[in-house]
Amino acid sequence: MLGLIEALIGGIIQGGVYAAIALGFSLVFRVTGVVNLSQGAFSVLGAMGMYFCQVKFGIPILLSVIIAVLGTALFAAIVGATAFVPAVFRLPVSNTLMLTAGLLTFFEGVTLVVWGNQPYALPTFSGEAPILLAGIRIPTQGLWLSSGSLAIIVGLWWLLHRTRMGQALLASAENPLAARLMGVNVGRMMVLAFALAAGIGALTGVLFAPVAAIQFDSGRMLSTSGFIAVAIGGMGTFGGAVVGGLILGIAGQLAAFYVSSLFATSLSLALLIVVLIWRPAGLFRAGAVQRVDVRVNSIIHRALVRLPGRAAIALGGVLLAVFGCLPLLPLPPGVISSLAISMIIFLAVLGLDVLMGYTGQVSLGQAGFMAIGAYAAAILATTHEWPPLLATLAAMGLSLVCAFALSLVTGRLRGHYLALATLTFGLLVDSLTVGLIDLTGGPSGLVGIPSFAIGSFEFDSSEQMYYLALGIAAVVIVLLEGGMRSSFGRSLQAVRTDQLAAAALGVNVPAVKLAALCISSALASLAGSLYAFQFHFLSPEMVSTPRSFDFISMLVLGGEGTLIGGLLGALFLTMLPTLVQSLAVYKTIVSGLLLVGAILLLPEGLFGRMALFVARRWTSGARGKE
Amino acid sequence: MLTSALSIKGVSRSFGGVLAVDDVSFEVAEGSLCALIGPNGAGKTTLFNAVTNIFPPTTGNVTCFGHALRDMEAASIARLGLIRTFQSARVFPGMTVLENVLAGGHLRTRSNPLAQMFYLPSARRDESRLRKKAEALLDLIGLSHMAEVAATDLPMGAQKTLEVARALMAEPRLLLLDEPAAGLNDTETAEIANLLCAIRDAGATILVVEHNMSLVMGIADHVVVLDAGRVIADGTPGEVQADRRVIEAYIGMEG
Ligand SMILES: Nc1ncnc2c1ncn2[C@@H]1O[C@H](COP(=O)(O)OP(=O)(O)OP(=O)(O)O)[C@@H](O)[C@H]1O
Ligand SMILES: [Mg+2]
Repeated sequence: MLGLIEALIGGIIQGGVYAAIALGFSLVFRVTGVVNLSQGAFSVLGAMGMYFCQVKFGIPILLSVIIAVLGTALFAAIVGATAFVPAVFRLPVSNTLMLTAGLLTFFEGVTLVVWGNQPYALPTFSGEAPILLAGIRIPTQGLWLSSGSLAIIVGLWWLLHRTRMGQALLASAENPLAARLMGVNVGRMMVLAFALAAGIGALTGVLFAPVAAIQFDSGRMLSTSGFIAVAIGGMGTFGGAVVGGLILGIAGQLAAFYVSSLFATSLSLALLIVVLIWRPAGLFRAGAVQRVDVRVNSIIHRALVRLPGRAAIALGGVLLAVFGCLPLLPLPPGVISSLAISMIIFLAVLGLDVLMGYTGQVSLGQAGFMAIGAYAAAILATTHEWPPLLATLAAMGLSLVCAFALSLVTGRLRGHYLALATLTFGLLVDSLTVGLIDLTGGPSGLVGIPSFAIGSFEFDSSEQMYYLALGIAAVVIVLLEGGMRSSFGRSLQAVRTDQLAAAALGVNVPAVKLAALCISSALASLAGSLYAFQFHFLSPEMVSTPRSFDFISMLVLGGEGTLIGGLLGALFLTMLPTLVQSLAVYKTIVSGLLLVGAILLLPEGLFGRMALFVARRWTSGARGKE
Repeated sequence: MLTSALSIKGVSRSFGGVLAVDDVSFEVAEGSLCALIGPNGAGKTTLFNAVTNIFPPTTGNVTCFGHALRDMEAASIARLGLIRTFQSARVFPGMTVLENVLAGGHLRTRSNPLAQMFYLPSARRDESRLRKKAEALLDLIGLSHMAEVAATDLPMGAQKTLEVARALMAEPRLLLLDEPAAGLNDTETAEIANLLCAIRDAGATILVVEHNMSLVMGIADHVVVLDAGRVIADGTPGEVQADRRVIEAYIGMEG
């Protein structure tokens, strides 16, 4: 009984954290209409600021808290004004969502450079000894945390409902046009909301850090939990955020108490899936319900990249020749293996292009399929001694089954909810690769994976793996080009921008989405299997969720909807850190910056730009000849 | 009696207490060109949305060529041969003008995606057949010279015409058009009128929402007038023009 009460108290404390993060989400969402995936990173930035002030410089606690919170809010205001808010005004929601994924990566990169990759625990505010109340142990930091959360909730309420600034914020949330007519600078309000949310996040992080070891990528988990909390409560209401956070916290602690802490994450993810199926709009609905007859992406901000058939064949031939000859150059040995890895990763990006670039289905879970492919093939080939080719094909089959199961949840979801559901899927796979120790070897991973082989021919050098992946990529691109230039590709693109109009023309929208998801997951799975065979070793972080974000960076940088584009992105982001070893620690920061920069400044991507150039030359050349 | 292409019986649709369409019943005879008119906010678009189950009717039944549409998915309705356009032109952004028309040919594609990926002869023949047809349609609406332009770069009026061409690509048996002539000048409107007559003469049935009276009265076989969600007149253009309630509704609108 005592244990249960303690678990409940723990749940309320934990729930307070989630609620505070969820409030940050809700605030930004209501004012800008975008879910800010980088919200959790503000807590980490706050905790890092606190660490420096308190531990490094010995500044008194209260002052440290103030500096950490204000510093984070100021940083966020700069990022908001230069990147986030311009994107909100210019880009479709799904691109802005990707931009916030880039911001998350960027913030993680900043923390990684400053803090390194070890976890930090800050000292508690008032000693380690818990308070005993009628035999119930209550950690003192928990009291700080829950009073902090309460202060955030009350403070936000007061700010929004009792101050002029809050009224202006609410006005821009409810009716931006009317707010503008009343003289409110909506853009400035968006920056304000972003910074305010960052401050809330930082304060939460500062209070939370002493009880949870925080490291550079903790923001990801916090973002997800907060996102899940808002999704449970309902995206557009503050009350919903608080209730959703509490439900999530209590459910997690009860699961840990009754079952095992290993399954607390899985349970919260399962809870979310139930809510997404049962009440996709959350428990509390927002006042303004989105009309279903409104288009999702009324603007495509990137120029149309269309290579005439012959130009595409010529370009493809040239590229194939160039990449075919690359290993003949006298390259250092490390480079060949990075080339092989880039080529393997490109297969997964290729799949993502079909799903995201052509069909417009945001996916933050592509690494989940890569993990399934990698682990299934590795386990079959190692423990069960299946031939690698057969193991790879079986893994693809398993991925397709998982894709089908995922589509049952995601079939009707769009935009933010789709991003959330796919992220949840990826995290679920992550927690399984770590948790199912008997099968996957847990955190220490699997060793002794054989080389890939077809029949008796073994691909045991990086060079051979490179040619294998190149060959597969070439064939896949030719096949996909055929599909994309026909009726199939047009139905994918129709679904991307206007599902309603597509359906009115007889396109079976769920089937089209499922087909795209299947292609995408099969390719990710294939990439995962080859990856495991290339390394002869597999551990969870090689195929975990950060990879999903990498894939998106690669795709956007190379060019969405171009198939080949992803290769440039994959090469760039894979080769850069291996070529310049000393820069490896900056990889995350660069990857985030590149994603943000590409979304804002180079929407067609590198390859898209090149193709546009070639296409113009080609058509003007053709005209000249006539 | 002629067989009816579309039969609407007692259809109502409300939005949170507002009755946008109120107990509407009428028939569209097969092979006819029927016009649906009425002042702004009369519920014409809502009726289209109710027929195509975008906002399913709160009560009432719709049958199309003898099939009850209740609980049918939008795509299945399209497969019956009922194709609609939207009031705010919904061309596909990110696709060229030609690709937009081609996208309308989805239901007329005979090859499957696998055949298309493997460049099988059947798929290539299919594609060139669709392409010829799409080019012919573009020619018909006078947009051939814009074939490779992004569809969203066209002016609004041209986007609406493009949407009609896209719908025609699906070879509809029953075509529902929501204000196809909005944003067009007089010559273009006359061209659309000719196009509609040609479509009817080719055997398709048309139900068109239109504000332009001269267009409607000139070409429609049958006119249904909606006001405040109700049918206030239903007959030949001549009968409707003489109807006192129609005149009142329209004068009320202008006044
Ligand atoms: N999705 C919706 N949600 C709420 N109300 C709606 C919705 N769609 C239509 N309405 C309401 O239904 C009524 C009829 O609108 P509708 O668009 O059908 O009129 P209309 O006859 O097409 O007018 P117009 O000539 O301006 O196109 C209006 O009062 C409108 O506000
Ligand atoms: Mg209308």
